[in-house]
Amino acid sequence: MLRALLGMTLALGVALQPAAAAPVTVRDAFDRSVTVPAPPRHIVAIFASNVEMLAALGLAERIVGIESFTRYPPEVLGKPLVGGRLGFSVDEVVAQRPDLVVVTPSRQAANQLIDPMERLGIPIVVLLQRNVEEILANIRLLARLCGVAERGEELVDKLQARLDRVEQRVAGLKPPSVVMITGRLGNGLLLVTRPGTYTGDAIVRAGGRLAFDGGVIAQVSPEAVFNSDPDMLLFAGTEKDMKELIGRPGWSDMRAVKERRVYAVSRVELLIPGPRTIDGIEHLAAIFHPATPSQ
Amino acid sequence: MRAWPLLVVALALSILLAACAGHDWATPADLLRAIAGATDLRSRLLVEWRIPRVLAASLVGALLGLGGTVFQGVFRNPLAEPYLLGSAGGAALGATVALLVPLAAPQSFILPVLAFAGAWGATMLVIGISRVSGAVDAAGMLLAGVAVAAILGALRSFLMLALSDETVSLQIVLSWVLGGVQTPSWPVLGLLAVLFLACLALTMALAGRLDVLGLGEAMATAFGLNVNRFIALAVLAGSVVVAAAVAFGGLVAFVGLASPHIARWLVGPLHRPLLPASALVGAIVVTLADAIARAALPPAEIPLGLVTAVAGGPFFILLLARRLRT
Repeated sequence: MLRALLGMTLALGVALQPAAAAPVTVRDAFDRSVTVPAPPRHIVAIFASNVEMLAALGLAERIVGIESFTRYPPEVLGKPLVGGRLGFSVDEVVAQRPDLVVVTPSRQAANQLIDPMERLGIPIVVLLQRNVEEILANIRLLARLCGVAERGEELVDKLQARLDRVEQRVAGLKPPSVVMITGRLGNGLLLVTRPGTYTGDAIVRAGGRLAFDGGVIAQVSPEAVFNSDPDMLLFAGTEKDMKELIGRPGWSDMRAVKERRVYAVSRVELLIPGPRTIDGIEHLAAIFHPATPSQ
Repeated sequence: MRAWPLLVVALALSILLAACAGHDWATPADLLRAIAGATDLRSRLLVEWRIPRVLAASLVGALLGLGGTVFQGVFRNPLAEPYLLGSAGGAALGATVALLVPLAAPQSFILPVLAFAGAWGATMLVIGISRVSGAVDAAGMLLAGVAVAAILGALRSFLMLALSDETVSLQIVLSWVLGGVQTPSWPVLGLLAVLFLACLALTMALAGRLDVLGLGEAMATAFGLNVNRFIALAVLAGSVVVAAAVAFGGLVAFVGLASPHIARWLVGPLHRPLLPASALVGAIVVTLADAIARAALPPAEIPLGLVTAVAGGPFFILLLARRLRT
């Protein structure tokens, strides 16, 4: 019943925009009900992914605050910073007088900002992306909230069409087993992509298979990487850092290294859950299945 | 007794300064306008967010000052403090369980209860260990405390790794462990104030006997004090105080150690003046540290526990050195 009502509210909001400023209500990743009385004009967008989604919807000029690790697209650089490595500032967010705050529950953002924004009556929406489907859903949700639902549908349709093309291209091909290293810790442990993450989903959609398919802990020892004996090793980072890592003792014995199936892949495409993740999936598909002609 | 007006004025000024401090500095006039009921966003930020937090910080500091004084009195040791003797570690473990383990009771109720149980259990364990091993002297007790604190810290870390998901709960526990005053709603702030007054009354009731205990256990027994029973009682009281502070402010390092010393230099060693003086000092220290945490590195906020240790530590060392020289 509630869902039906909510759907009706949304449909109404979509139908009436942009002529009338009807309130729009959505459910966010924390199952909170978020209502904007009118399409927001001053958005604080925390984290690169949320900025990129808004920018892809053509809303970059509405962004009034970002955090210090946001480096794309160029038109948002130089906007006021409301947080960074050490957390996020309620003062700075409020100083931008936002009518919408978009966060992802990383680095304390949700924990530090939801309570004060709710108290001050500033709409704050929490987005999560555990798979590619949720990235697309988040684009739709932001578009609806910002009164550009049609633009959102168009963008998602385009991205979906590209995903479908990749799916057709890799269909029936044997998926190589893959380990993707996303980071290195000081104690020698490696961060690897796990199932249940959008990056893991991206690998599967590109026609690969995660060599670690069960574990939930992201930190593994190099030994565990050797033992998983993947067909391919991916390193999210620069070619130089990748060569430094596999140049270490022991790595040259790995099958993937011997067969020269080690690839540096783009961090921004595969570790920022936004529209560019679809680029990443296309690039991964070309790595996993090079024999198939790229479009 | 010119220390009292000094302390009270210093606290009032600290609270005023802290209420003005932020990335976006307010003037006292802004504060007045906000309190008078202005409805613009900035005024509401001050009333709904900043002022309750400043007051909560001062109350948490006052509780830490009280707790430190009780522990230093009970153990007759200037190094005794909630962190060294495991009670803060126990409270942190209890709170971590409350934050991460799905329990049937509401978190707002279970967190203070488990924080208290942890604080009390850990301190009693330390006393028990040192009694069983016959090392009831300060060194034995402190060593036992350090060992228990290490075990509790490891258990807490394990729980954090094993039970939290990266996105939400780990952040909450981590921010809590690094220390940071949660901004309470006004009713919760009222509850915290009542809690502080109760803790003050509770510890003041122990003041006379803490003085007697300060003469040494044999002397205290000669004065008719049931030393073992009193120590157990005082540890229980100290644990209540620490648990209250930890439940609202997380692990704020160093204040419980330093406040009683600074207060002692101002009002002397007798507990009846020392307890409220130490509470005032703790309140001043945490209020200022919280203001630094919020205002120093815009747009970031530094965890409070780091500020109290880094900014308070050298200050305390300086005071200590000057004290020792004279």
